[in-house]
Amino acid sequence: MNTVEKPILAASTPPSAPASLRAKELAAGHQQHLVIEGLNLSLPKQQVTAIVGPNGCGKSTLLNTLGRILAPKGGQVLLDGKDIHALPSKQVAQKLALLPQDTTAPEGMTVLDLVRFGRQPHQQWYSQWSAEDQRIVQAALRAANLLELQHRELDKLSGGQRQRAWIAMAIAQDTPLLLLDEPTSALDLGHQIEVFELIQSLTQEGKTVAMVVHDLLNAARYADYLVAMKAGKIIAEGTPQEVLTAELVYELYQVHCQVMPDPISGVPLLVNIRR
Amino acid sequence: MQVLPFQHHSLPLKGFWVLKSPRQGISLLVNKRALVVNLCLMLALGLAGTLSLAAGSVPLSATEVWLALLGKGDPLHELVVRELRLVRVLAGIGTGAAFAVAGCLMQTLARNRLATPGIIGIDNAATAFAVASVVGVGSALAPPAMSIVGAILATTLIFALAGGSGTQGYRFIVVGLGVGAIAGAVTQLVLSWVAIDTANAAFPWTIGSLNARSPDTLLLLAAGLTLGGIWAATLVRGLQALRVSESLPITLGFNSKRLRTQSLIVAVGLTGVAVAVAGPVGMVALLGPEIARLLCRHRGIPLLSSALAGALIMVLADLLGRLLLAPLEIPVGIITAVVGSPYLLWMLLNPNFRNQP
Repeated sequence: MNTVEKPILAASTPPSAPASLRAKELAAGHQQHLVIEGLNLSLPKQQVTAIVGPNGCGKSTLLNTLGRILAPKGGQVLLDGKDIHALPSKQVAQKLALLPQDTTAPEGMTVLDLVRFGRQPHQQWYSQWSAEDQRIVQAALRAANLLELQHRELDKLSGGQRQRAWIAMAIAQDTPLLLLDEPTSALDLGHQIEVFELIQSLTQEGKTVAMVVHDLLNAARYADYLVAMKAGKIIAEGTPQEVLTAELVYELYQVHCQVMPDPISGVPLLVNIRR
Repeated sequence: MQVLPFQHHSLPLKGFWVLKSPRQGISLLVNKRALVVNLCLMLALGLAGTLSLAAGSVPLSATEVWLALLGKGDPLHELVVRELRLVRVLAGIGTGAAFAVAGCLMQTLARNRLATPGIIGIDNAATAFAVASVVGVGSALAPPAMSIVGAILATTLIFALAGGSGTQGYRFIVVGLGVGAIAGAVTQLVLSWVAIDTANAAFPWTIGSLNARSPDTLLLLAAGLTLGGIWAATLVRGLQALRVSESLPITLGFNSKRLRTQSLIVAVGLTGVAVAVAGPVGMVALLGPEIARLLCRHRGIPLLSSALAGALIMVLADLLGRLLLAPLEIPVGIITAVVGSPYLLWMLLNPNFRNQP
C-alpha cells in the first residue's frame, strides 16, 4: 500500500488552543486580612499582560489567586468560564502554569530534574518520559538558554540561572496560560531583556501571559496590556500607550514625571522623574 | 511491520535508564544510582540478618543458619533459628523499615529534616497509650492497638494546636515537642502509680526492644508495612514536587490537600504499627532517611532506600545490644538513642545545616 508519511511535526502538539482566565468579583488575602476585594479582570488572549503597582498593592496576591495557590475569599476565578477550584486539578495544570516569586531549589536537584517537573500534568505513572516529553523539555531548555547547564545542580547556580530554570519549567508545562511572578527580579539587564523577549515570543505561539513586574518601563515596553493596581483595586487597565500617564504614575508611586514616546519604538517612556 | 520492544532511548537522560515501549505509550524511568544503592543495602541487610541469626548463646555459622532457614539443618539449629531468633530479626527489619519510611514522609511533608514522628511526639504518645493499657487492661493484644490509637490521637492534637499552619514550619514541630513531653510525663506518672511488678511488665514499652516479640505482631507489622509501602509509593511523585516548594504540587495538578492528608495518615499509621511491635525506638526515623538521602545524593524521595537503611540500622543496633554486654541485653532503643543523639546534636549545631530534606 502506498502511504504518505506524515511530517514529524504533525505528531507533536499543535499550537495550544487559547484558554481564557477571568477574575469575577474576586476577594483574596491571607488569613483574616483581605488584600484585594471586588476585583474584575479578564486576561486578553494571546497577549502579554503586565500587572504593576506599588509594594503591597496585592499584585502577587492576585496572581497567586489566579494561579489557585490561594483560594479566593469571595468571588471566582474562571478558567474557560468554569470555576477553577471546581475543575479537576490535573486538567487545570494542563492549561495554566505559574512561576512563583520564590525560586529556591532543594539540595541535589539538577536543572533538568526541575524542568522535567513541568511535564508532570501530561504524564501518567506508566508514561514518565515520552518522546514528546523529551522534545518539549529540550525545547524549553533551549529557549531559556540552559542546554549547557542542564546537568548542573540548581543550588550551585547563580540566582539568575536558577530563575531561568524555573521559567523553563513553566514553559515545559506547555500550557496556553502562563502566570509569572516577577520573572526577571534576579536577572541582570542582559538576561532581563532575554527573558522579556522570550515571554513576548510565547504569545506568538498562541499563549496568554500575565506577569507581575516591578519595573514600569519594562512593563510598558514588553506588555501588550497594562493593569495598574493600588490598594487591592485595579485603577487603570489598557494598552501601555492608553494607560501610562503622568497622573497614573503619581497616583501609583507618588512621584512626578513626564511621559513621552520612545523616539525609536514609540512605547511610553518616563522622563524627568522626581519626588 | 516494525516491532519495537522495550528499548533504551536514543538521547539518554543522565542518571536514568528509560524503559520504553512507544507503541503502548509506556516509558518508565529507573534511577541508576537508587537501584545500585538499594541492591547494596539489600545485600548488607542480608548479611546483617544472617549475622544476627547466627549470634547468641548457641553460636552458628552462616551455612548452618541458611540450612536451618531452608529446613535442611540440624533440628536444634532449626529450633534456635526459626523459632527463637527469626521473629526477632524479622521484627527488626519490619519496624526499622516502618519507622524510616514514616520519618521520610514526615520530613518531606513538614519540609524539615527534624520533623520525624519521634521528635514531634507521636512515638511518645503511642507509648503512653500502650503503657496505660498494659497497666490497666493487661491483655496481650491491647497494647499494640492502643499504641496506634495513641499515635492517631497525638497527631490530631498536634494539628488542632498548631492551628492553620498545618504541617508547615516550626510551629508544628514545637507543638509536637510539647505534646511529646506531655505524653512522656503521662507514661512516667502511670508507671509511678502502679505496683512495681506491673510497672516492670510495662517497662519494655517505654524504651523499645525487640526481645520476645510474638509472631502475631509480625502479621500486624507485615500487613501495615505492605499497605503503607504501596500507599506511600503512590504519593512519591507529589512529594517530589512538595520537596521543591509548597505551591509546586498545586501548580502541577496534584490535589495538595489530599497529598498531605494521605502522607500524614501513612506516616502516622506506620509509626503506630512500628511502636506497637517494638516500642518507641528513637532515631531510626531520623537516621534511615538521612543515610538514604546521602547515598542517593539527595535526588528524589528515597522511600525504598530509607526503608532498607532503617531496617539495617535496626538489625545492627539490636545485634550490638545483644553482643555488647552478653549475656545481658541492652534494648535496641538505647543503642539507637546513643548512636543517633550525637547526630541530632550535630544537625542542630552545624551552621551549614539545611532544614529542607
